[in-house]
Amino acid sequence: MIPLSHFLFISACLFCIGLYAVLTKRNAIQVLIGIEFMINAAVLNFVAFGRFDANGGGGQMFALFAIVLAAAGVAVALAIILNVYKHFKTIDPVKTDTLKD
Amino acid sequence: MPVSDIQIFLVLPVVVLPLISFLFIFAGKKLNTENLALFHISVSFLLSLYLFSAIWDKQTFHIQWSWFSVGGTEFKAGILLNNLSVLMMVLVSGIATLVHVYSRVYMKGDPNIHKYWAYLGLFCFSMLSLVISDSLLLIYLFWELVGFSSYLLIGFWYTRDSAARASKKAFIMNRIGDLGFLTGIMIIYQQFHTLDLTLLFAENGFMQTSFIQNAMWVSDTSGMPEIWLTIAGAVFFLGAMAKSAQFPLHTWLPDAMEGPTSVSSLIHAATMVAAGVFLIARIYPVFNPQVLNMMVITGTITAFMAATIALTQNDIKRILAYSTISQLGFMIMALGIGAYSESIFHLSTHAFFKCLLFLAAGAVIHEMHHHRDKLGLDFDFQDIRRMGGLRKRMPLACISMCIASAALIGLPLTSGFLSKDAMLIKTFEWASEQVGILKIVPYLMLLSSALTAFYISRLIFKVFFAKPDVISSPVISAAKDAPKQMTYVLLILAFLSTFLPFSLNPLSYEVSWLWSGFRSVESTQAGFYHQLIPVIVNAISMLLIILAYLMYVNGKYSRLASGEGLLFRVSSGEWYLNQFYSFTFVKSVEKLAELSWRIDRYVIDSIVLSTAAVVRNISDFSRWTDKNIVDGAVNGSGAMVSKAGSIFRMLQSGRLQHYLLSILLILLTFLILTFFI
Repeated sequence: MIPLSHFLFISACLFCIGLYAVLTKRNAIQVLIGIEFMINAAVLNFVAFGRFDANGGGGQMFALFAIVLAAAGVAVALAIILNVYKHFKTIDPVKTDTLKD
Repeated sequence: MPVSDIQIFLVLPVVVLPLISFLFIFAGKKLNTENLALFHISVSFLLSLYLFSAIWDKQTFHIQWSWFSVGGTEFKAGILLNNLSVLMMVLVSGIATLVHVYSRVYMKGDPNIHKYWAYLGLFCFSMLSLVISDSLLLIYLFWELVGFSSYLLIGFWYTRDSAARASKKAFIMNRIGDLGFLTGIMIIYQQFHTLDLTLLFAENGFMQTSFIQNAMWVSDTSGMPEIWLTIAGAVFFLGAMAKSAQFPLHTWLPDAMEGPTSVSSLIHAATMVAAGVFLIARIYPVFNPQVLNMMVITGTITAFMAATIALTQNDIKRILAYSTISQLGFMIMALGIGAYSESIFHLSTHAFFKCLLFLAAGAVIHEMHHHRDKLGLDFDFQDIRRMGGLRKRMPLACISMCIASAALIGLPLTSGFLSKDAMLIKTFEWASEQVGILKIVPYLMLLSSALTAFYISRLIFKVFFAKPDVISSPVISAAKDAPKQMTYVLLILAFLSTFLPFSLNPLSYEVSWLWSGFRSVESTQAGFYHQLIPVIVNAISMLLIILAYLMYVNGKYSRLASGEGLLFRVSSGEWYLNQFYSFTFVKSVEKLAELSWRIDRYVIDSIVLSTAAVVRNISDFSRWTDKNIVDGAVNGSGAMVSKAGSIFRMLQSGRLQHYLLSILLILLTFLILTFFI
């Protein structure tokens, strides 16, 4: 049986990779992909901890719920990216810096 | 003829018309002012004549209205007409009318002529109001106004330095007297709580019913130490002294001759200077024997001193001014000895003949001045040494002046004979009951009277009879009698200076209506003085007139007239009173002023300056503190905030990933802080 720590390690790696992608990529789609990485790291955690609730299956339920939410979130995020592109003619987050004063 | 109230209200126009003339001239156009002024004063004169006929020796009229109240005391203002006031009223308005007529010619061509008429109106208003006022407060008010208008008229030619100074001198000298008057009013008010003349001084008035008991002066309402009665009399007398130019406050009157001659005639000879005598007569009961003796002494000294000074003056108006002072001294002296009616009698006769003397002198001066300027010569046109021989050139002026001089000397058939001899007779009668030094009073008066004869004859002979001076002879030969209007006035006044208007009998004042109008007690002493005095007076006068004729026309005894000797110098130096005043009062005031200046300059200024220096230093320090510490703190915090702002500004890059990174870092910091520390 694979010990819990392996899952957690994999999940932490996934999260870090996602975070790195979010912080560094020069393309909004790649940033979105980073976000998906981080969500899936969390989902993996849910499933891994779900072992301790074998009867209720709460972890699995939350994982499914989170996957659905992530899918919805991706749809919204892609729509935003589309609009950003329409507005700025680019999806490079470095160039869309109008949030500053 | 009984007088109804309606008729008596005519007295209001009498006093108000001159005021209206004054206001009109000041407010309106400056055209035809002479006619305006003359019209008002003539109507005023006619009305006062009518009132005189209604009031004189028939009744007293008194009406009053509430004026104002202070606390619980009500002050009343009103009109009191009795023999004295209607007489003064006719005198003032009559002479004023004549002077108005005279001035139309005399003042012709003066650039400020409208002011002249306005001031005359103001003067007539104040003087007429003064004589009819029924309360001391009102009299005081008009007394001041009279002094003020006199000031304006003396300084009428204000561009002349001497005139400006003379007007100030007159005003200041009169202030001394006004102070006395005011003090007197205060004492009377304190004692009787009223200033109403009738209540105070009538028969059985407050003054008569008050009495001296245990060295206290007691009245119905209050009492005060006896000395206050004397003080009250003395201070009232002081007021009269200044106004009537009595020694030692007389020095303003000769200087007042800087005004136009017509003004000198009206104000400084006939009417205003009589206000002092009038005041004494009005409040006669207030004077106790001590004060009356003071009056006798002052009057005698004044009469004698002024007569001696008049002997040697050379300015024609100055001689007449000193003559006025001398005659006022006679009147004051007569009041002092109780010769009330004689004094008022002399006041009236003197008003006419002195007015005439001045106006005739004015006519002479007018001619001299006119022709001097025309011929372009340079000499003092008022100096009698420059005149002479005018008899043939100005016969009417000469005749009228001779009549007036005769009246002044007291020669028979003139008004002066009646009044002056009446006073002298009274003086001798009075002195026979006195002891000590007061016995010499009548002899001094006799001497003054003799001096009068001499100085006025000197004037007449020098002006009209003597040989003309070399310098001025072209002027003399060009002179001629004054224009008609002026001459008529002189002739009218000449008539009024004879015995005719006053008495049917030229030799006895006792039948004079004017004298008997004021007589209170029957004079029983038909005594021996009555025949003797006039004879003596006239004998001496005649001798002196002849002497003067020999001296000044024939040129004999020239050593006497040469101007050497101590007595001559004292006389021509006017007893050095001006110098004395200048030395004692003016110099000391100047010293005081200089001392004050020094204190101001060195003590007060140094205090102020050092205070200023201290304040400056303090403010310098504050400025430094403000600039460096306060401003430093403010600017420093501003700079700090701005620095911090620009640092934090860098965080606001607008890039999403930077924000996310900051969030991550903050979360990590919290995490580390929460779990590892």
